[in-house]
Amino acid sequence: MTTVQTQLHWEDVKEGDKIPGYTLDLSWTKMVEQVSGSQDFYEVHHDPDFAREAGHEEIFYNTGFTQAALCRLLTDWMGKEGWIQNFSFQMRRMNIPEDHVQVKGVVTGTQVREDGKGAVTVDLWLENDRIGITTPAEATVLLPLRES
Amino acid sequence: MSDQVNESYDIEAIKAEWIGKKTEKTTGRYPVEYDPIRRHCHMVEDTNPLFLDPDAGKNSQYGSVIAPPVMAGYFAGSGPWPKKAKTDALANVPTRGERKINMNIDWEYLIPVKIGDQLSSQRELIDVFEKPIKLDPKAVWLVTETRITNQNDDVVAIGRNTLLTHRTPEQVSADLQK
Repeated sequence: MTTVQTQLHWEDVKEGDKIPGYTLDLSWTKMVEQVSGSQDFYEVHHDPDFAREAGHEEIFYNTGFTQAALCRLLTDWMGKEGWIQNFSFQMRRMNIPEDHVQVKGVVTGTQVREDGKGAVTVDLWLENDRIGITTPAEATVLLPLRES
Repeated sequence: MSDQVNESYDIEAIKAEWIGKKTEKTTGRYPVEYDPIRRHCHMVEDTNPLFLDPDAGKNSQYGSVIAPPVMAGYFAGSGPWPKKAKTDALANVPTRGERKINMNIDWEYLIPVKIGDQLSSQRELIDVFEKPIKLDPKAVWLVTETRITNQNDDVVAIGRNTLLTHRTPEQVSADLQK
């Protein structure tokens, strides 16, 4: 398990840098944690018969879980003085029980804005070992400047 | 959303009637609390002390534990239990099917959400359109924008959600056989 805590500064980051990722194994216990953590009780996320009746291959992990996993990548990386300004993601494909999900990201740009804040744009995503990338995402993170 | 499996579904009429409608501004059932944050962190094995450790939060620039930004919507809601009477003005936007999947989510975060904050939200329907998917050639998509504010009426986050609604395979087959 990773945790935050050396502070990242804007000057430390350049386009193309990989963000340290992490892995989540979607065991059936993790599925229960998903429902507990998100409080999303829609049956398509925990009832296989319901999910199949709706035309899905299997139950799939929900939006709350997905955004939490992506958000953690950013907050682990940016440190306690960072701030997620914008965050968007697309639920294109599904993560299902027994998948091994990797959460990854890469820096796509850096800029000191007119307001003096150090902005970093990032592509991030979930991918699993069954079908590859399932959830592409983008974010803009504000990082502290050393010189300020 | 209503289950309207019929030939009279008129997307232009629905756009005209529903786009721009807003829900009432509603306040979350409880203030921002520690334990929902802990459960949220548990599901993705997040050990960030800013979210979990009151001492670390107190000594941070925020002076308090904060919620992961993606939890703003959770604390602005009432949770699944006990159920509240539905007063959601957007709950009955007509669609063809009742199955639904969140597709695109886009958030802007403006200020941190701290333990004890009391969040409110208001949602507006921004767009409705038809776009086929493999499961349903007549899937209907809804785009909503949510503004989340705190007890001082400061906007803490603005979110845009694209929800896909679709019919079951049986409903699609029945429609195709008409």
